[in-house]
Parts: sequence; C-alpha cells; structure tokens
Amino acid sequence: MTKTFDYAWKEISKRKKKYMLNVILIALVVVMLITLNSLGTAYKEASRLPFEKMQSSIIIQKNGNVPENTTGAVTSCSLAPIRNNLIDEIETIEGIKDISYGLSLWVFDNDNFKRVLGVNWDDSLGTKLKAGIVEGEIPQSDDEVLIEKTYAEQYNLKIEQKLEISEQEFRVSGIVKGYGKDIIASDFFMNLESAQGIAFDSKNLQETEEFNQDDINIIFVDTEQTKINAVAGKLKNLLNQESLNGGKTPTGKTIGSYNIYTPESFENQISSLFVLSDKLILFISIITIIGSVLIIMKSMSHAIIQRKKEFGIMKSIGFTKKDIQKEIGMETILQVFAGYILGIIVSFITILLLARTKISISIPWELNPYPHFLASNPNLVDTVQTYLLPIQFQPAYAILSFVVVIIIGILTAIITTNQINKLKAMEVLKNE
Amino acid sequence: MNELITIKNLSKTFNKVEAVKDVSFKIKKGEFLGIQGHSGSGKSTLLGLLAGLEKANSGKITYNGSDLTNMNEDELALFRRENVGVVFQSFNLIPTLNIIENIALPLFPLNISKNEMIERARKIAKDVGLSHRLTHYANELSGGEQQRVAIARALINNPKVLFADEPTGNLDSKTGKKIIELLKELNREKELTVVMVTHDNEIAKNSDRIIEMKDGGVIR
Repeated sequence: MTKTFDYAWKEISKRKKKYMLNVILIALVVVMLITLNSLGTAYKEASRLPFEKMQSSIIIQKNGNVPENTTGAVTSCSLAPIRNNLIDEIETIEGIKDISYGLSLWVFDNDNFKRVLGVNWDDSLGTKLKAGIVEGEIPQSDDEVLIEKTYAEQYNLKIEQKLEISEQEFRVSGIVKGYGKDIIASDFFMNLESAQGIAFDSKNLQETEEFNQDDINIIFVDTEQTKINAVAGKLKNLLNQESLNGGKTPTGKTIGSYNIYTPESFENQISSLFVLSDKLILFISIITIIGSVLIIMKSMSHAIIQRKKEFGIMKSIGFTKKDIQKEIGMETILQVFAGYILGIIVSFITILLLARTKISISIPWELNPYPHFLASNPNLVDTVQTYLLPIQFQPAYAILSFVVVIIIGILTAIITTNQINKLKAMEVLKNE
Repeated sequence: MNELITIKNLSKTFNKVEAVKDVSFKIKKGEFLGIQGHSGSGKSTLLGLLAGLEKANSGKITYNGSDLTNMNEDELALFRRENVGVVFQSFNLIPTLNIIENIALPLFPLNISKNEMIERARKIAKDVGLSHRLTHYANELSGGEQQRVAIARALINNPKVLFADEPTGNLDSKTGKKIIELLKELNREKELTVVMVTHDNEIAKNSDRIIEMKDGGVIR
C-alpha cells in the first residue's frame, strides 16, 4: 500500500497543474453542499429568532374589535380577550412542552400612552423576563411594576418611584432590558392579576370587548422543533371551532378568528433569497452536484486516459488489472481528499464571513401592535428587527459532502479503470 | 542448450491483414536470437506474441511447458512479471518517477518492502552503469542512458528471457553499439536468453542466430 501511495503521490505532486482542476472542482462541490445547506438551516434558525425571546415556538392571539375611543385600558384589535379555560384544551394537544400566557394592554392615561403586559412570574415567559432584569427585582405585590429600560430612560423613571397606570398607583420594583421591541413589546410588566384587574375595571374595554376577570389575550406555546407544524395544525383545528362574528379588523383579519404564528410565518420575510430558499437550495444543490460530478468525472477520467501509455508500460512489465485498479484508486483518493480538505477550509471561511451578514425580520403589526396615531416614535414602533445571520459550520453537512465526494471518487475510479483495462498494452505502446 | 520457447504454427491477423503467418521455430535457453526484417514484416508483432503482449489468432507458444496462448490477460501479466523482460525502441520510461523508481517499477505490485525494492534497483542500476543517475528523471538523461534504464527495469525481476524491440532504433550508432554490448554481456554472463528484433543487418549480426521475416512469415 505504501508503494502504491508513493507512486500516486509522486504522480499528483509532479503534475500539480494537471490535477489542480480536479481538486478545485471537488472542493467546489464540498463548498456548495456545506454552504448552501448551512445557509438554508441558518435562515430557518433566523425565522425562530423573534420567538426566542418569548421562549416559544407558537404564538396564539385572537382578532377583536377596534377600541371605541382612546381612554383608559383597552386591548388592540389583534389582542382580543381569550377565555382562560382555552389553556386547558390546548394542553391536551400532543407535542406541547410548555405553555405560558399573558395579558397585553394599551393604557391611555392623561399623561401618556403605556403598553402593559401582565405575566405569571413562575412560568417560562416570566422566567425569561426575570433573566432580563438589569436593576431591582420582579414585582412582589400587585401594586409593583417592572419597567422596560428604554422607556425608563425616556421618561427618567427610577426604582422605587411611584406612577399611575389607569388611575392605579404602582411602585417601580425593577428595570428590565430588551423588551421594548420585538413581539408584544411592552413598557410595563406586572402581575397577571394586576393587569386583569385593570382590564376588567376599564369601561372602555368592557364596551369594546366582553372581558372576564381571568381572561388573557396572548398564549405562548413551546414545542419540540420537529413538532411545530403538527401542533400548529392541531391548534388551528381546535381554535377554528370557535364561533366567528364575521366582521373584519382594520388589518383585514376576521374578528373572532385566531392568529397562530409559527417561525414559518417569518420565513418569507427574512430575505428575497429565503423566499425561494428551500426549493432553490435543493435545486441549486442538485444542479451543482450533477454538473460538478459530470465535470469531475470527465476531468479525472481525461487525466488518466492521457496517461494510457504509462498504463501500457505498467501492463507490459506485469501489472495486473487489480494492480492498475489500486493505482488509479489511490490517485483518485488523494485528489478527493485534497479537494475535500480545500473545500472544508473554503466553506469554513465562507461561513465565518456569512455569519457577519445582518438580516432583517419584519414583525407583523399584530404581533407588536402600536396605535397608528402615536406611531411617530420610531424607536418604540420599529417592527423591523435586525439579527446576525445565525449560520454555523455544520459537521453533518461536512459528513454529507464527504460521502458525496467519496461516491464521485469511487465512480470515477471504476469508470477509468475499466477504460484503462480495455487498452491493449502493445497497441498503446506502438501507437503512442 | 535446452529449448525455452516453442512456437508452432503461430498466426496473428489485424483487420484481415495477416501480420504473422504460420510461424514455427524454437528458442533455446541462453540463446541470443535476432529477428530481422523490414518495416511491416511482422517482426514486432511476433515479439509481442512471444512476450505475451498480444494474443495469437491461432497456433501455440509454449514457454517451459506452459501454453501462453491459453492464458487470460491477468495470467499473461503475471507470466511477464515472473519470466519476461521487455525493452522498447522508445524507452517507455515514466516521466514522473526518478531513475531508481523507474527501474524498480515492476516490483511495485510485489509483496516486498520498499527498502528491498530500492536495494534491488540500486544493484541492477550498478550492473548497467547508472549508479550516478539514480535520482535523476528520464528527461535529464541521454538516449543511451534511458535505454539502459529500460534494460535495468526489464532485468529487475530476474527474467529468463529479455525481449528487445529495436533497442537501438532511437540511438546513434556509437550508443547503439554500447547497448548491444550490454545485451551481449548480460546474455553471456547471466545466461539470459535475449530475443532482439531489428531491421538493421549490422545489429542483427551480433546475435547467435538470426530469423528473417518477410510479409509475416519466416523466410530463413
């Protein structure tokens, strides 16, 4: 084996230029396979980023009526009240890992507009919020609130400070960072019961929607990655049984219907490339692989056939078909390995560069509602989120590309060996 | 001298052209046999048949009792590896291998160590006067030196017979003479049977016996 390796190594290293094309083509196949597939995975991952903050895979909301006027606490038309007993029904669906929920309110006080979110501090949403606290602590009583950092800075609010929300006095218990944008962005976070109390007492809200004391208006469902679509399908079946009153919200949604958001809801928004990504990547991958395989096989086979005189010499001095097969096989393996290593290096660098790419995800208004007449503050209503592309070098794709190039190598070696073995030594030596 | 190769009614046709026609003769062990003839007389085809590089259409070649005409390609390859050395007019060296590797090439498929292979090649190189050229490549050598490499490569497996097809054809007369001297020396000192094809009367005269061919047949 060492002698075969030595000969093959010598052949390739002495004729570098001749074999360089093969090595580059193999590397190209590896780069295409790894990069395109990693890109596809990255865009899928990216579509989950807006959900990551909420520790969920699926978000459920209900479409409702537009508030009659802008006084006191109301719910946005995309966040109509949901009866609490729906949680029990949702829990029966198989594949769900965790459910958390909250109540999101718009509060029009005399002094300013506030976005309020009532949460359970013990569930996953509450736990996630706790982790974002930069100062102070979570509310310990029903008259305490947590403030989003940007809002606190804008209005110069400090811990222990007292303020009014819908005519009720609250004390600031802490400041949380990073929830002023994204999904269901809020300025104030309080106990769910406190928010429910504000909503229940709001005359304006009761006139717009019928609000029960324990109603909620947003549900976060966490599932295993592979079960997101299945669970979303079952949720649609379950929730569509709810009666609809037939009217439309200003954004065209049917009043009384449910919106079920999954990462798929964002996939089409990430980039124009991703609109076609799944099919495009599959198509490009297949075309690239087929094209490259044909060129590689042609090129490698040509390099061998050009040396038919040398193989004629080998035959004349006693090399059997198997000996020649070993020699061609070894040369092919060396080229495949060289191409594979080059491909891995180039893929790694490409992915490192791609990881610096920024992508924008537009959050639908329904998921981050803001009164249109107050939308002059872009800092608060910026629904376009920018993320770094979450692309990573995936070992699984490195293994996949290795299998592909090995198959290419084996096929090429078989084809060229057959061609060489058909040659008659005497004819080759006479004619060359 | 004992008979090494027996050729009986041997014929070879290429596209309806009879390159070798009903040829019969014997080659003795240790003999220096010249096969002479003009271009197209069939002498190179006959050499190819004797060396197991071509398959005959009819007739029989017996080598030490073994029938070459019944062997398949791989059996013929093994036969060549164990019994035959072949030298061509155009040297046929591998350009990417250095001289010692070219000489050792027939040993590559054998189950022997690399060191042993190189040692054997070094010894043969010394025998043919190439010790000073071992790490050079074919394109750095003169024609005569390249033919010596080809002869060394043909001898490395200790063959019983050496087939040489116009071994001086690409060499000037002085270098050609030296190559013939080398073949004669190998024939004399190692008792190596040499079968040499040539169109040159003067070169052929160096043989113990000459077979003359014309239009595929033996005329003398």
